[in-house]
Amino acid sequence: MRCGRARKMISQHLDGELGLAESKAFDTHIQGCPSCRQALEETRAFQQMFASAQRFPAPYGFATRVLANLEEKEGSRLRSLLSVRPFLLRAAQAAFAVVVMTLGIISGNLLLAERTVHIEPAAVQEVFSLDLFQAAPPDSVGGIYMRLAGVADEK
Amino acid sequence: MTSDNDRDLIERFKKGDPSAFEAILLRHQDRIYNLCRYMLREPRDAQDAAQDVFVKVYKALKDFRPDSSLYTWMYRIAVSTCLDYRRKSRREAFRSLPLTEDLPSDERSPHQFRESTEIAESIHAALQKLPEKLRAAIVLREIEGLSYEEIAEVLHTSVGTVKSRISRAREQLRLLLKKNHG
Repeated sequence: MRCGRARKMISQHLDGELGLAESKAFDTHIQGCPSCRQALEETRAFQQMFASAQRFPAPYGFATRVLANLEEKEGSRLRSLLSVRPFLLRAAQAAFAVVVMTLGIISGNLLLAERTVHIEPAAVQEVFSLDLFQAAPPDSVGGIYMRLAGVADEK
Repeated sequence: MTSDNDRDLIERFKKGDPSAFEAILLRHQDRIYNLCRYMLREPRDAQDAAQDVFVKVYKALKDFRPDSSLYTWMYRIAVSTCLDYRRKSRREAFRSLPLTEDLPSDERSPHQFRESTEIAESIHAALQKLPEKLRAAIVLREIEGLSYEEIAEVLHTSVGTVKSRISRAREQLRLLLKKNHG
C-alpha cells in the first residue's frame, strides 16, 4: 500500500469503516511507515479535541425569542400560543366585573321597588314653601311654582 | 426515522395544537444552536441563524413526512441556513433580550470549562478555514456525532461523498492545527 492511499484511509479507520481486508493492509502499512503513523496519531488527537470541545446550549431566552419572532412573522396561529391564556384571563376578569356590576344594579332596583315611598302633598308644600323667609310674590319664580303646585297663599 | 416523541409532537402540530411546536423547539434547540455555533463561530450570528432555522421548520413542518428523521431534516435546514448566512454575510436584526451566552453545557469545573472553551476556539478558528462543504461534513460528524448515512441524508449526497469530505476535512484540519500548535 502506498502512503497516499493509507492517508485517505485514516479517516475511515478512525470511524471503524474499513473492511477486514482493508483494515489489515492499513495496519501493516502503518506499522512500517513512521510518517503515516504520525499522521494517524495527529488525526486521532484532534478527533479527541473535538470530543472534549465545549458544547454550546441555546442561550437563555432563545425559545421565547423564536416564538416572539414567529408571532411577528406568522401572526394568528402562534399568537394563540403566546397570548391565549393571558388574553382569556383578562377577558374572564372583565366579564366577571361586568356581571358583578349588572347584578348590583338589578338587585338595587329590586330593593328600591319594594320600598315604595309615599310622599304627602302637605309635606311637599312644607318643603317647598318659602314661608320661612317670606311669602313668594305672585310674579316671582316661587310664586309661579306655588300656583302651579296648587298651593294657596295662606297670607 | 422520526422518534415516537417527535412523531407525536408533529401529529399534534398538524392537528393545530400550538404547544406542540414549543415542545419541538425546546427539545431540539440546543442541538441546532450548537451546530450553528460551530458553523458560524460568532454567537450572535449563530443565534440569528438558529432562529431562522426554527422559523423555517415552523413553516415547513406541516409538510414534513415522518418516514425520515426529524432531527436530520432540521440539521439539513440548519446547514443550508448557515451556508446561506455566510454567503450573504448579513445580519438580520432580531429584537433581542440580553444574552446569557455560552454557558457550560454540563457541570464541568472552571478549569475544565476554560480548557474546553480554548479547544473550541482553536477548532472554530481552524473550521473557518475549511471549504463550506467540508466544514459542514466534519461538524456533523465530530460535533454532532452523526453517522455517515445520516450526514449523507442531511447534506443530500452519497455516503461515498461524505466519506471523502470527512477524510479531506480531517487531513486539512490536522495540517492547520499542527501549523498553529507547532
